[in-house]
Amino acid sequence: MFRHLGMKALLAFTLLFFAFIYVPIALIVVYSFNADPVNMMRWSGFTLDWYRQIFGLRNAASEAALYIETTEQLLAAVKNSFIVAFSTTALSTVLGTSAAMALYRHPFAGQRFYRVLLFVPMLMPDIVLGIALLIFFVGAGAQLGLGTIITGQTTFLTSYVFIVVSARLAGMDRSLEQASADLGASEWTTFRRILLPQLMPGILGGALLAFIISMDDLVITYFISGTNTQTLPIYIFGMLRRGIKPEVNALAVMMLVFSFAIAFAGLYLRNRKR
Amino acid sequence: MSTLRSRKRQQLALLLGPVTLFLGVFLLLPLAIMVVYSFLMPGLYGGVEWSYYPHNYGRILGFADPEFEVFDPVYLSIFARSVKIALITVALTLLVCYPAAFQIAALPDRWKNFALFLITLPFFASLIVRLFIWVLILRPTGFINLTLEELGLIDAPLDLLYTEGAVILGMVYIYIPFMFLPLYASVEKLDWTLIRASQDLGAGPFDTFRRIILPLTLPGIAGGCIIVFIPALGNFIVPAVLGGAKSMMLGNLIEQQFLAARNWPFGSALAMLVMAVVLLLLYFAIRQERADPAGSGRA
Repeated sequence: MFRHLGMKALLAFTLLFFAFIYVPIALIVVYSFNADPVNMMRWSGFTLDWYRQIFGLRNAASEAALYIETTEQLLAAVKNSFIVAFSTTALSTVLGTSAAMALYRHPFAGQRFYRVLLFVPMLMPDIVLGIALLIFFVGAGAQLGLGTIITGQTTFLTSYVFIVVSARLAGMDRSLEQASADLGASEWTTFRRILLPQLMPGILGGALLAFIISMDDLVITYFISGTNTQTLPIYIFGMLRRGIKPEVNALAVMMLVFSFAIAFAGLYLRNRKR
Repeated sequence: MSTLRSRKRQQLALLLGPVTLFLGVFLLLPLAIMVVYSFLMPGLYGGVEWSYYPHNYGRILGFADPEFEVFDPVYLSIFARSVKIALITVALTLLVCYPAAFQIAALPDRWKNFALFLITLPFFASLIVRLFIWVLILRPTGFINLTLEELGLIDAPLDLLYTEGAVILGMVYIYIPFMFLPLYASVEKLDWTLIRASQDLGAGPFDTFRRIILPLTLPGIAGGCIIVFIPALGNFIVPAVLGGAKSMMLGNLIEQQFLAARNWPFGSALAMLVMAVVLLLLYFAIRQERADPAGSGRA
């Protein structure tokens, strides 16, 4: 009897747990279509105006309430975010994958050092890496901007790729590689035909993770982006500090949709690979 | 044989060279410079004077530079508040995730995978967006206050936003996946025959929990706590968005020193303080694991 009640309570608690995670997200989605320009949480009809406003389209509210600073500013931030995310993903995927392969294939003396080195950025609070990079870049006379953001993000994204690819390597069947070598395949052929195809899901997974984290990074980018270069998270952070406008709602919802779409794509890829 | 070895060495150099160079220049060097900076004298108009100056740490720990200032415990109190907020965040996420982990582990496979997916999904969503949602919910004209007013429960809006409570709520919200996953890993591995045996032998639910369940899931609990505590301690985004002047944390103080006050050496010393706490924590965690590699197998 009591056990039964306990089970019910546990189930109710778990449902509340999920409600806590998802009700806020549902709220913002619903209210991003709210027509009220003054109070975003008082429902006064359905509108797509805030979405239109983001893209700089004309809408009913634009005469009465011109909120958004400039669409160009937002689009520039989006563009910067994509430039940074693609560059850092490419760089960190190459660096992280080569590090993982080196540590897996060749036993050598400094392995422990490399493992620690590649774990450091993950265990370090973001803000510490952010300010260390700021001091370094300013001291080196670098112009803060896209270049410094890409370099700075790559230092910690490499670790993420390294960990994902290493996990894949650890679970791989080495006998295939040996068989290929025994059958007379050259090292390059073995790498291309045997190792790389097996490793690909790990590399893709690592790259996807790096891409998502890069798009979302706020703390480290905040310190090394300088005053003239904004990425999307920095732009939103600035908007929140200046005062909230209904367009942010719509923008937030579009970002949620985008990141969830990537997550779903990743899941789909993983399931298909099995 | 020697050519094989030299080729191996060549390969290794090719694979490791770029990453060594990159992380050496853009990770180790900056960290080393930060350590040096924390011992330098702040310049009058930003920048540094190249002379040894321990009083950056002194300003925090109690021996302020006698020429300029008297010791002000304000920095210690910000440090204490940061530790407090991080600890409360850890405790609350644990409290929320622990029961849920048991429920989800008991679900049939299909539901289990779906539930796990739902928990990891927010991790992919933008952090700033997830915090922004709480601004909309908590502010005076936000969802909670409007709802309460409409129901006639309050006359004037409650001060929910820009409080310590809001900061903690925001932290719990964003760190739930961090706590849940390690917890779940050890809950799922639980050997239920041990629990049944304990019950058969007459132990009450409390005894079974304390003597069997708790020790067996302890590695997950410890892992989750550390993974949440580290980013929570140095966080400056959550207090910047949801907190007010009274909920300033170490992260905000460091940001201020770097971008507003331009006292980089003092900011570096503060960052070193955060690092010291993190390293201490990791040291104990690793030592614990070494001492008990099976993950607390003795119940």
